[in-house]
Amino acid sequence: MRRFVARLFSLFGRSRREQELADEISAHLELSAAEQRANGLSAEEARLTALRRFGGVTQTQEAFRDTHGFPALELMSRDLLFAWRLLRRKPLFAAAAIATVSLGVGANTAVVSVLETALLNPLGLRQADRVMAVRTQFVKLNLFQAEASGVEFREMQSLPEVFSAVASMEGRAWTWLSNDEASRLVGQAVTPDFFNVFGEYPGTGRFFTAEDDEFSVVLSDGLWRARFGADPSAVGRTMWLEKKPYRIVGVAPAGFHFPPNAQLWTRLPLEPVRLLDSERGRNRTLSVFARRKEGVSETQAREHVRRYVDTVISADATHGGDLSKNGYGIELTSFGRYIAGDLRRPLLLLWGAASIVLLTGCANIAGLLLARSSSRHREIAIRIAVGATAARIVRQLLLESLLIAALGGAAGLVVAGVAVALLTRLNLSAVSSLAFASLDSRLLLYGFGLALVSGLLFGMAPAIQLVRQSESARIGHGRRRWSRDLIVAAQVCGALVLIVMTTLLLRSLWAIQRIEPGFDPQGVTTAFFLKPQNDPDFFDRLQARLAATAGVQSAALANPVPFAESGVVSGFAIKNRQESGVQGNAEGFQITPAYFQTLRIPLLRGRNLAPSDTATSPLVCLIDARLAERFFPGLNPIGQEIGMFKGWARIVGVVGAIRRTSLEGESHPAVYYSFAQIPFFPWAAILLRSNVPADSIIRAAVRDANPSVPVYDVRSIEERLGATLEIRRTMIMLLSTFGGISLLLAIVGLYGVTAQVISERTREIAIRTALGARPTQILLPLMRQGLRSALFGLILGLGAVAYAQNWLAGMLYDVAALDPIAVGGTTLGVLMVSLAAVWWPARRVTGIDAQHVLRHE
Amino acid sequence: MAAPKNDLVAGTLALMILKTLDTVGSLHGYAIARRIEQISGNQISLNQGTIYPALLRLEQEGWISPKWGKSETGRRVKFYSITRAGKKQIQTEQGDWERAAGIVAKFVTLVRAKA
Repeated sequence: MRRFVARLFSLFGRSRREQELADEISAHLELSAAEQRANGLSAEEARLTALRRFGGVTQTQEAFRDTHGFPALELMSRDLLFAWRLLRRKPLFAAAAIATVSLGVGANTAVVSVLETALLNPLGLRQADRVMAVRTQFVKLNLFQAEASGVEFREMQSLPEVFSAVASMEGRAWTWLSNDEASRLVGQAVTPDFFNVFGEYPGTGRFFTAEDDEFSVVLSDGLWRARFGADPSAVGRTMWLEKKPYRIVGVAPAGFHFPPNAQLWTRLPLEPVRLLDSERGRNRTLSVFARRKEGVSETQAREHVRRYVDTVISADATHGGDLSKNGYGIELTSFGRYIAGDLRRPLLLLWGAASIVLLTGCANIAGLLLARSSSRHREIAIRIAVGATAARIVRQLLLESLLIAALGGAAGLVVAGVAVALLTRLNLSAVSSLAFASLDSRLLLYGFGLALVSGLLFGMAPAIQLVRQSESARIGHGRRRWSRDLIVAAQVCGALVLIVMTTLLLRSLWAIQRIEPGFDPQGVTTAFFLKPQNDPDFFDRLQARLAATAGVQSAALANPVPFAESGVVSGFAIKNRQESGVQGNAEGFQITPAYFQTLRIPLLRGRNLAPSDTATSPLVCLIDARLAERFFPGLNPIGQEIGMFKGWARIVGVVGAIRRTSLEGESHPAVYYSFAQIPFFPWAAILLRSNVPADSIIRAAVRDANPSVPVYDVRSIEERLGATLEIRRTMIMLLSTFGGISLLLAIVGLYGVTAQVISERTREIAIRTALGARPTQILLPLMRQGLRSALFGLILGLGAVAYAQNWLAGMLYDVAALDPIAVGGTTLGVLMVSLAAVWWPARRVTGIDAQHVLRHE
Repeated sequence: MAAPKNDLVAGTLALMILKTLDTVGSLHGYAIARRIEQISGNQISLNQGTIYPALLRLEQEGWISPKWGKSETGRRVKFYSITRAGKKQIQTEQGDWERAAGIVAKFVTLVRAKA
């Protein structure tokens, strides 16, 4: 080992060492000669004797050098230098090849970095691999991935053989008063084990303990830095949230962002009543997370919990409960999937697409190298003739490819850096975790490794071919170059797959954009605010002020609003039904009567809510057409009573159904209550239809009505709608870019194949032209090779699409994965482009001057 | 690259150099070569050049350390001296050598008895 290091270092001070050796040798010879002269020899004889006794000076130097460094390495550096000179000699080729690798590697690494943040290593939480989200489902009620109630939390805690830590969290928002300034903070109320579930340690101070009451706070690193100047003495201070004093006990570590928008965490008090069995399925407001014990696999945990749920259900059935009727169950989702959610498939698809681009890119470089190899045939033949072994030549060729790959990889990492910076700025509201994507050293290693592997990949083909050629050259004509054809076919296949996917997604987007949301979103602006406490007239004052502002056509208050979060889906019952208990799930809205007018939702039956529906009058509600059709088919729902939030509410009217969370997704049936009668939630939103910019109007009106109320998330409904489509738009943009690059590469490949066929057969073409063949007779056979590859690629591509259709279908809307227009049209399009790519170089043969060619042979 | 044939010679040469430096102290290359020839009763006629790669190897192993100095003729030459690690190495190699020599000696007597 020591010697190895010494040799390694010797790679540097090389010339100095050799000079020293020369000095030593000449001194040696001088001393030796002096001794001989002392023995009575003449000066000349002494010198010769000294030399003879020394042996060969050159041999000594050679042996010295061998001992000194690594001869193999030196050989390699010589090869590398040679490769570098070759590249420099063909700058255009080098630039094209390096650019191709860098694009492929860059795109791939960027996508993987997002994949890593969203899927593999969610949010950069290093210890989250054993965390599972615990959610409930009511299969028969079509309710999946629902939040849990206190019961499930308690039950997961009672399975210590499966989970080492279990925690609940519940969303919170606070008005924070500091230095007379009101700001809104969002975060979570959590049970003591929350941070232990994620295996985190406090950055400063401590986390919660069982002794902490609900007025304890752990700050996020971001809030601590932004508002407390990263002052460690912030721990122990008091902050006023909702006019109550909270004690800061600690600060979370810098890398902990869960949920991604959380600014602080408080202690969640779970009253014993919330843990009772009777609470199961009600008040599902808790997000429960559990950490699997070391050595317990996901499957084992699921099996455990499933058996547990079975006993719960059978116990429930003996008491006449309806858990089994509703298809109750507990779902365990790995944290990675929980974070990625619907994003999983698109991300994997993008990764596949980026890999196709990289592979077609490799194929193209292989093609270019192959084309170049015919011109290097002579050079290789000479080198083999003077005694280079095949291995030596292959090594030389691979080294050239690796050099391209390494340069391309380095450039690709720069591309990836730029791409990730752009991606994190995309700000997809549905994917807040995206903001945390970054390139770390492992990803850089991945990118560079990818580049080197692709270098080996595209270097292998020409290397094998060259050696085989030089072997067969002795026998006679080289064999057919099937590898080139295969490469082109693979390129066409990849391009087709990507473009078909883009088309399918595009058609889905169009189909979605044609969907009527059930209301008129144009010109409506929405903004959330936190309700003030001890200000009962606030809503009236606010509405009056909004209505009195010039340019405002209509204003209402509501929670939730279309295409925004924060709704509550809950089970409801219908009075006087034969089957008692929960009939189905609906989303509860609280509104002021102007809501329907503002959004232009039609009143289909009965009456609207009115100012006369107050806290003291009988509880009434409106239902939407969806609920009416599903639960009152052929009946008049007016006058019926349903129970959801608080006792029985009489249905006084039916309004049109709207698309609530996204255009394409199924919306829950809706029940509308008056704010005056159901004042449960701490926040609400303003909806304003106006023909002037609404942002300042809203802020001014709220400030006038009560200056301590913070306003947040001001956006038009159209913006919110756009955000729900943003992921699809981004996907289409990225996929079409990848598809375009891929197609371009395929075109270059096809062009190259045909051009080469022509250059090889120029003589034959010239002879046939001279003999009077018509242009088409010459043209067709020339195009055959390229076209055959293209057709083969198309068939392969169609096979791939057919194979992936089930997988694709989940991302499509109103379009089949084998949609004849998308698939057929794209195939035809790619075929036409391939034809053009083949015809373009071939068409020149009609211009070949037969005489000129034959004379110059 | 070094041929395996030379390895035996190189190995014994290393021991001879170490032993020489151990007994005499600091010497330059030529003196080491001459010394080895003299001690062997001029039975070994070194290709004196082979000593330099061997010296380099010993230096890389850290068994000897070089130092520039002036020769008898006033030329700048490297003087080599043994290090502590080198002395330890002599112990090991000497043991190895004695064992190997002992085995060979047994074979030689065996063959002689048979003849």
